[in-house]
Amino acid sequence: MSGRIFTGDELTRDLTVECDVCVIGSGAGGAWTAHELVKQGKTVVMLEEGGYHTRREFDMTEPRAFQNLYQELGNRAADDQSITILQGRSVGGGTTVNWCSSFRTPERILKVWRERHGIDTLSAATLTPHWEAVEQRLRIATWPQEMMNANNKVLWEGLGALGYERGLIRRNVNNCLNLGYCGLGCPVDAKQSMLVTVIPDAVEQGLTVYANTSARVLDWDGRRVTAVRAEVIDDATRKPTGVKVVVKPKLTVVSGGAINSPGLLMRSQLLSEGRVGEKTWFHPVLMMMGLFEHEVNAFHGAPQSVYSHHFIERGPGKMGYFLEVPPVQPMLASTVLTGTGPETLELMAKLKHLNVMLAIHVDGLLPDEEGGTVRLRDGAHSRYAIKYGFTPAHWEAFRSSCKEMAKLQFAAGAKQVRSLHLSPVTLDSAAEVDKLDDAKWEAMQVRVATAHQMGGCRMGKDPATSVVDPHLKYHSLDNLFVVDGSVFPTSLGVNPQETIFGIARWAATHIGQAV
Amino acid sequence: MKMYLPPPGSKPSRRGVLKKGLLGGALLALGGGAFLFTRKSVEVEPPADGLKVLTAREFAVLTSLSYRLLPRREGFPTVELVQVARGCDRILTLVDPTALTETKQLLVLLENALPNFLFGRRAATFTTMSTDDQDAVLSEWQHSRITVRRSGFTALRSLVMAAYFSSDTTWPGLGYPGPQPGIYDPNAPVWKGNGAERPLGNGTFLPPPAPAAVDGGTP
Ligand SMILES: Cc1cc2nc3c(=O)[nH]c(=O)nc-3n(C[C@H](O)[C@H](O)[C@H](O)COP(=O)(O)OP(=O)(O)OC[C@H]3O[C@@H](n4cnc5c(N)ncnc54)[C@H](O)[C@@H]3O)c2cc1C
Ligand code: SF4
Repeated sequence: MSGRIFTGDELTRDLTVECDVCVIGSGAGGAWTAHELVKQGKTVVMLEEGGYHTRREFDMTEPRAFQNLYQELGNRAADDQSITILQGRSVGGGTTVNWCSSFRTPERILKVWRERHGIDTLSAATLTPHWEAVEQRLRIATWPQEMMNANNKVLWEGLGALGYERGLIRRNVNNCLNLGYCGLGCPVDAKQSMLVTVIPDAVEQGLTVYANTSARVLDWDGRRVTAVRAEVIDDATRKPTGVKVVVKPKLTVVSGGAINSPGLLMRSQLLSEGRVGEKTWFHPVLMMMGLFEHEVNAFHGAPQSVYSHHFIERGPGKMGYFLEVPPVQPMLASTVLTGTGPETLELMAKLKHLNVMLAIHVDGLLPDEEGGTVRLRDGAHSRYAIKYGFTPAHWEAFRSSCKEMAKLQFAAGAKQVRSLHLSPVTLDSAAEVDKLDDAKWEAMQVRVATAHQMGGCRMGKDPATSVVDPHLKYHSLDNLFVVDGSVFPTSLGVNPQETIFGIARWAATHIGQAV
Repeated sequence: MKMYLPPPGSKPSRRGVLKKGLLGGALLALGGGAFLFTRKSVEVEPPADGLKVLTAREFAVLTSLSYRLLPRREGFPTVELVQVARGCDRILTLVDPTALTETKQLLVLLENALPNFLFGRRAATFTTMSTDDQDAVLSEWQHSRITVRRSGFTALRSLVMAAYFSSDTTWPGLGYPGPQPGIYDPNAPVWKGNGAERPLGNGTFLPPPAPAAVDGGTP
């Protein structure tokens, strides 16, 4: 039985649909959950607030991609702008725009989850069969070193020169042409995103997808969700068209991702005494820019193929971080760069020679961390009130990582290195890295970004300290599950997609049994 | 600190609402919005095809701002050519209503004589100032000790940069060759199921990958 993908333009009349399971969100978590459930013979309806954008539109230009494929056009941010939040919003969710890096969940994180949060359901042994299946389907394999672009080579060579631990990244690609536009939607479907793999596989087996359909509220009564109330969004204007979709499922899976899943629960008055939306983790990213004599052309070539976990554990009380590089395309680069007027244009004119390095900080593991707090915002439709609590440990780690990145860039031959402070620190040699000590290390003095949002519906054994149980069921309801990055009680220390894939595929087994 | 959601239907306090948004914070920090837009602004010709969400006055502020943030430079198109302020207006049609309101308030704040007067002892509006004074105001915002001013600067800067660098006319100046030619297929098939055969492509599972091609795991 073939299913179908409906888009907003086809949804012109109010609609009520009955099904076994309604999955809200079509990203990493939602896609795998829906796929496994249709395989079990369940009737599954998936709602996705973003549009169904495919390679027919993936022309590798930034304005089109940010408008169609990102939450708030790529402008999502903490209230005080201290963190720029890049998050996906289209069929495929974050996987349509992510940079393909694929890692299994580190053992030490599963241990923290087990020991501190009572999550006895997840171990490497339980997840391994799911990871293997995911890796097969998504063709996850090490990106060959000879295909590495010059931007990654800077990191690779810097790490080699300083004797730091380094590794090659596994990517979920098939016949990848090494173009470099993964973040704007892969124009040849080489990226094995949910958009081109698991979702169409599931549609072939009966999944019905409503794209441009935003779940606004869950109706619930006693211990059961009775309906999902959604509205159709005009793909071009991003405004509701007035058409309503009501889904009446036996069981509901919320997979809107961090920030959005808590948002839906809060709109539905499912608050878990205020815990919903709390402890949102961002893997806060600090960046350093290296200027090279040779061309780096960081806009082309597979965006991420090298990583280092050299600084992932830095001792008690310290926040760890890992290192990667991003693709550097003009529009995003110009918004992330700091400075005004001639300074910006001077830098942008050197785009071909710029390397950018990322330090991705592992938040949520230290005792005093509150992380991000997401709340509803009056009058908003797709925007939330978001605060993030930086601690002294954050600033210590940020300073350390920026220094290490500068050293790596110089070790790889950079002529100059620049921080992304509002008053940037410019370094002319590795001997000058201590100049970074004098920079202002506070919110909104240095650019911080995130592409990995986690938490906000944290899982745990104790209903008094968590939102979902170790089987991802909402504690006080019998037919509501949350399956996406929002259930993580801490961040991961690796790029999150494969952890979400694995957990979703694992969870689908017992979710199916609960229908 | 615990933050609980107010019960449904309860009206949040005005101060509560103000504190929530970026601009709420800015207005509080700057002493309220009573004097906003009471002074004269420069008039700027609106785009030929009109403005969608900005007022003529807000458009004028963005125009002045884009001149300062993107001064003339050889090899780069001018802000007039790219129509940066018009581009901002078009971007703002797509943002959340609260973000639009806040951006408008931010433009008012930038233009408003009072805060500039308080903080930098200037009595003129942003659009009527000399370019040196405009640069000084922007520098004050950028380097301010008050977080909301730095936040406001960053938000407006990002908007202007996005509007400018979204134009491919900037690519030659950047030395950016753009996407590789001959790859993107505007006629690629779009498959929506409903019994139609799924076209074979990189996403379909055929042929299956050779075992050697798959080597998952986190070292
Ligand atoms: C630019 C970028 C690069 C990245 N690179 C990598 C990488 O290389 N490797 C990696 O592992 N990870 C990467 N990530 C992160 C990764 O993509 C995400 O962690 C992952 O996709 C999150 O999965 P999820 O299921 O939690 O949510 P998502 O994949 O974000 O999916 C949630 C979906 O639900 C939809 N939705 C939300 N609310 C509603 C609602 N109320 N109604 C209907 N639909 C709703 C959203 O529009 C979205 O499409 C990257 C992310 C970005 C943005
Ligand atoms: S690098 Fe590969 S996966 Fe990424 S956009 Fe290019 S072809 Fe697609």
